[in-house]
Order: sequence, then C-alpha cells, then structure tokens
Amino acid sequence: MKVERIVKFELGRLNAHIPERRITLKLALSSAKPVVFTKDGSVHHFKRDELKLLSKLLPEGEWDSLQLPIFISLEPKLGRGAARIRGEAEVKVICKILEKERKESELIIYRPEVAVIRRKLPTTTQYMFIW
Amino acid sequence: MAAALSVSPNRMELIKLKQRTALAQKGHDLLKDKMDALVMELFDTLRRIQESRAKAMEQLRKSYSALSNCMAVLGTVETMQAARQTRKEVQIEVSTRNIMGIQVPTVEIGETERNALTRGYSLHLTSSSLDIAAKELERALRLLIGLAELEETAFAIARELERTKRRVNALEYILIPRLKDAMRFIMMRLDEMERENFTRLKRIKAILEERR
Repeated sequence: MKVERIVKFELGRLNAHIPERRITLKLALSSAKPVVFTKDGSVHHFKRDELKLLSKLLPEGEWDSLQLPIFISLEPKLGRGAARIRGEAEVKVICKILEKERKESELIIYRPEVAVIRRKLPTTTQYMFIW
Repeated sequence: MAAALSVSPNRMELIKLKQRTALAQKGHDLLKDKMDALVMELFDTLRRIQESRAKAMEQLRKSYSALSNCMAVLGTVETMQAARQTRKEVQIEVSTRNIMGIQVPTVEIGETERNALTRGYSLHLTSSSLDIAAKELERALRLLIGLAELEETAFAIARELERTKRRVNALEYILIPRLKDAMRFIMMRLDEMERENFTRLKRIKAILEERR
C-alpha cells in the first residue's frame, strides 16, 4: 500500500467519531435520551449529570446556543498539547470550569486544562483533529 | 537505502517525494496528538479506577461485615431464604460514548438503594440487621457497576493506544526515514549529475580550445 493511502486512511479515521449534527443543550435537556449520531454510524450518549452541570453554568437563555458535544480541536500548528475551543457559549462554559477570564469567542487551552475538562465533561466534550 | 535506490533520480520524483513526506509528517503529528490524548484519557481513567476500587473495596468490607452480623443474628438459613425472596433487579441504562473512535460503555444507574418494604422479603420473619446488610450491599453494587464501566473503558483505550502507537512508530521509524532516504538519494544523484555535466562541459571547452 502506498504511503499516501495509509496516511489518508488514518487521517480519515481520525474524525470518524465526530457527530453528523450537534444538538443544543436545551434539546439535550428536554430529550428522553440525549444522543448524537457520529459519522461512523455509532451512537454517542450524553450523561444527564453533565447536562445538569452545564445547565447550571449557563443562563437558561443561552441553552439554545451551546452546541453539544463541545469540540476540543487539536491542531498541529498550535503545537503539541495545545487545543482550541470555538464558540461563544462553549468558551463561556469552559472558562467557568477552568475558572478563567473570558476574553474572546475562541480559547486556547493546554494539556492540563484539557485533562480537567475531560474529567468533568467526558461525554459532552469530544476531540477534533484539524489539519 | 535499498528502497531509495529503486526510485528514479529525477526532479519530478523529488517533488513527489517531498509531497509524500509532508503528508506523512502531517499524519504523524496528528496521530501523535491522538496518542497524547489517549494517554491522558488512560491515565485519568486509571486514576478513577484506583479511587473507585478503593471505595468499592471499603464498601464491600462494610457489606460483608454487616452480612456476617446478620447471619449471626438471624441465622444462615434464614438469611439465605430472605436473599432468595428479594427482588433481584436494578435499573441500569447501558449506552455507549465515543472517545476518538473508541466505543466505550456508559452506565447510568438508577436508584440501587431500596427500603425494607420494596426489597421483597418478609418483614416479620427478618430482623433489622438484614435491612442494614441489604442496604450496605446495595451501596456496594452501585460502586461495582461504576468500577466495571471504568475498567472496560480503560481496556478499550489501552487497545486503541497500542494500535495508534504502532502507527506512529511505523511512520516515525520506517516510512518517514525511508522517504527521507529516497529524497537524499535523489538529491545526491542530481548533484552528481550536475557535477558530471559541469566536468563534461569543461572537458568539451578544453578540447575546443585545443583545436583552435
């Protein structure tokens, strides 16, 4: 097999776990089974405890703007261990969890912070690889 | 170097090789990022397993102590009979979540602790020590289910980590060095050809000057 095919196959597989469509926090809270369907056809469930935690961190009026799962984007150009969070509501929630001051609608976080977020929100956050 | 020698040394091939190396390097960087994230997930899961196991063991110790006490007060046969009469059902919802392409189970446990009336055994034939033992065991059950979820998650992550590590190593130690070797070989060959041409031209120039 050619190098390109192996690498392209691996790169294609990297984001197979990303959902086809994200759902809002409001929809997830009102749903009996808060799930999203991923690109590879599997089902990703959100834990109710996490949804409740997120609902406490965000005012009710903003539940509609928080898209779940929150993407933790890993980009090689940012350097090893750095990740980016995009979106107003997403950044707001992450900043509250990390007890950081929010400045922009984008946030760069580092490995220890990623670990904290993943520990607190294991199902409502997902890694995304960007190249 | 054997692979490097099989490429034809021309500029087109060199450009192609450069593109392939860049792609392989990009793939390597991303897979390394994935591997880092998996290591982080694995260590976090292992830490949670450790905590969860310690709690479960402590709870089991309490449960077995309460059960021994109950057997001493109520009698072994009566305790076993009450255990047979108990409703053996727990509300758990097993679903899946996805960590970088790995399907891991998520278990949402309903209320495992019941009161004496809902357990199903006869109240007037048993003592309060049975209620205490049952309560402790129900608490232990909750912790054991949580521990099972974490252990399965750790196994799944470890399997994927091993696979990713193999891919990263293959790119890092075999594919990329092989491509770089081939590139070096072509560059050396092109330089050599340039030197040959230069010498040839000098030689031709010398011959022409001799003829003049």
